[in-house]
Amino acid sequence: MINIALPKGRLGDKVYGLFSSAGYEFSGISDGGRRLVFVNEELGMRCFWVKPFDVPVYVERGTADIGAAGKDILMERSPEVYELMDLKVGKCRMAVAGVNGYEDDMSRVLRVATEFPNIAQEYYAASGREIDVIPLRGSLELAPILGLSDVIVDIVETGTTLRENNLCVIDEIASLSARLIANKSAYKFKGERIREIMRRLEEVS
Amino acid sequence: MTNTILTPEETASLNLRGIYASYGYKFYRMRRFEEYDFYAGKKDFLISSAILAFTDLNGKLMALRPDVTLSVIKHAPEGRYFYDEKVYRVPKNSSSFREISQCGIEYTLPVTHEALKEVLRLAVESLHAVSGGRRCVLDVADAGEISRLMPDEKRPEILRCIVSKNIHGLKELGASQELLDLVSEGREIPEGLCSDMAEIRYDCSAVTSLSYYDGLVFKGYIDGIPEAVISGGQYSFEGKKGAGFAVYLDTLEGSCGD
Repeated sequence: MINIALPKGRLGDKVYGLFSSAGYEFSGISDGGRRLVFVNEELGMRCFWVKPFDVPVYVERGTADIGAAGKDILMERSPEVYELMDLKVGKCRMAVAGVNGYEDDMSRVLRVATEFPNIAQEYYAASGREIDVIPLRGSLELAPILGLSDVIVDIVETGTTLRENNLCVIDEIASLSARLIANKSAYKFKGERIREIMRRLEEVS
Repeated sequence: MTNTILTPEETASLNLRGIYASYGYKFYRMRRFEEYDFYAGKKDFLISSAILAFTDLNGKLMALRPDVTLSVIKHAPEGRYFYDEKVYRVPKNSSSFREISQCGIEYTLPVTHEALKEVLRLAVESLHAVSGGRRCVLDVADAGEISRLMPDEKRPEILRCIVSKNIHGLKELGASQELLDLVSEGREIPEGLCSDMAEIRYDCSAVTSLSYYDGLVFKGYIDGIPEAVISGGQYSFEGKKGAGFAVYLDTLEGSCGD
């Protein structure tokens, strides 16, 4: 049995679309109910919805053999997993943004609001800039508008939310998309099946 | 037969010690503490850079050992040793120290072809001894070769991609075709080092730090255990060369003993 962790939400729907096009379908998964676990005995596969941030945890700990996780979460958590494939869905950017016309005052510690403290720390450490991380969960655009932070480090898809709030991208940190990840030990013993899944996903992605 | 007195970890440790002793390795027991300064400048060698320190009654800053290899290299004369020790580390994504049980060997004589073969054989035998009959794999890679194939720039990022089999990331970083082929296809393990050990495969993701490991490195896996059970390799440290490995007994919790 191959166990697959999929991220709940929009990204998960896109990833499941790929699996489904590749011939890996699970009955009832698109019905919108509250079920979390779906089994296809014929394929010898079981998949389950988990919170996007938790996908690497399930895979690293071996509860799932493979999973689909956003590159942002992989960068933030650095899990001990294999990153086997760029699934090329959920494309967006990790970026630094601030209010239009913002200029960095190098005489002060930079206040950075983010859901990704490790990514922000690593990015600013590379240039030796000292920062004060302000951890927030959602609606980050508010932070620089209300003066809680100087900038934000966040995911930017189209940039519409930034524009509507008088913010702009200052720098791009990384390009993001969903990645197929695998538990290292599972890859040793179920490698042939995992590589077959990769081949079929490659054809449809 | 289930042993009702010993824990699975203790049973595994006794079995392993029996194997190492049967190959003529000597049991090496070390102090649990080292002077803190001993680890300064050696952080690259250590898996976890945090060190549990305390002040001894004479005012000296001491550390609870985070690693076994460094102590063996420092204190023991050249030889073939096995150990069964605790180390103190902060696991990844954790904010507190943990006591971790390790049983393994250190080969600090000149590492010849035959010596390397012996170390690999012992690693495979160790895997079988704790596997409870399940399938095992020993991934082997040549850290020296990988290091030579890596460009001078962006080495940490490239190493991260190698360890995670991230081929698309390696391409983005401009890795050479030779390195891409080695990471994606692997290759034959040279000079009959393991011709009679089917469990051994070449896999670049076995590589860890390139600062000290400069020869063959390896990681051992057991079906059903989500992380590597064995980690080791050939190292070169302050002019001293050696080879060794550790079996992480805590990874076996609840999964062996019969």
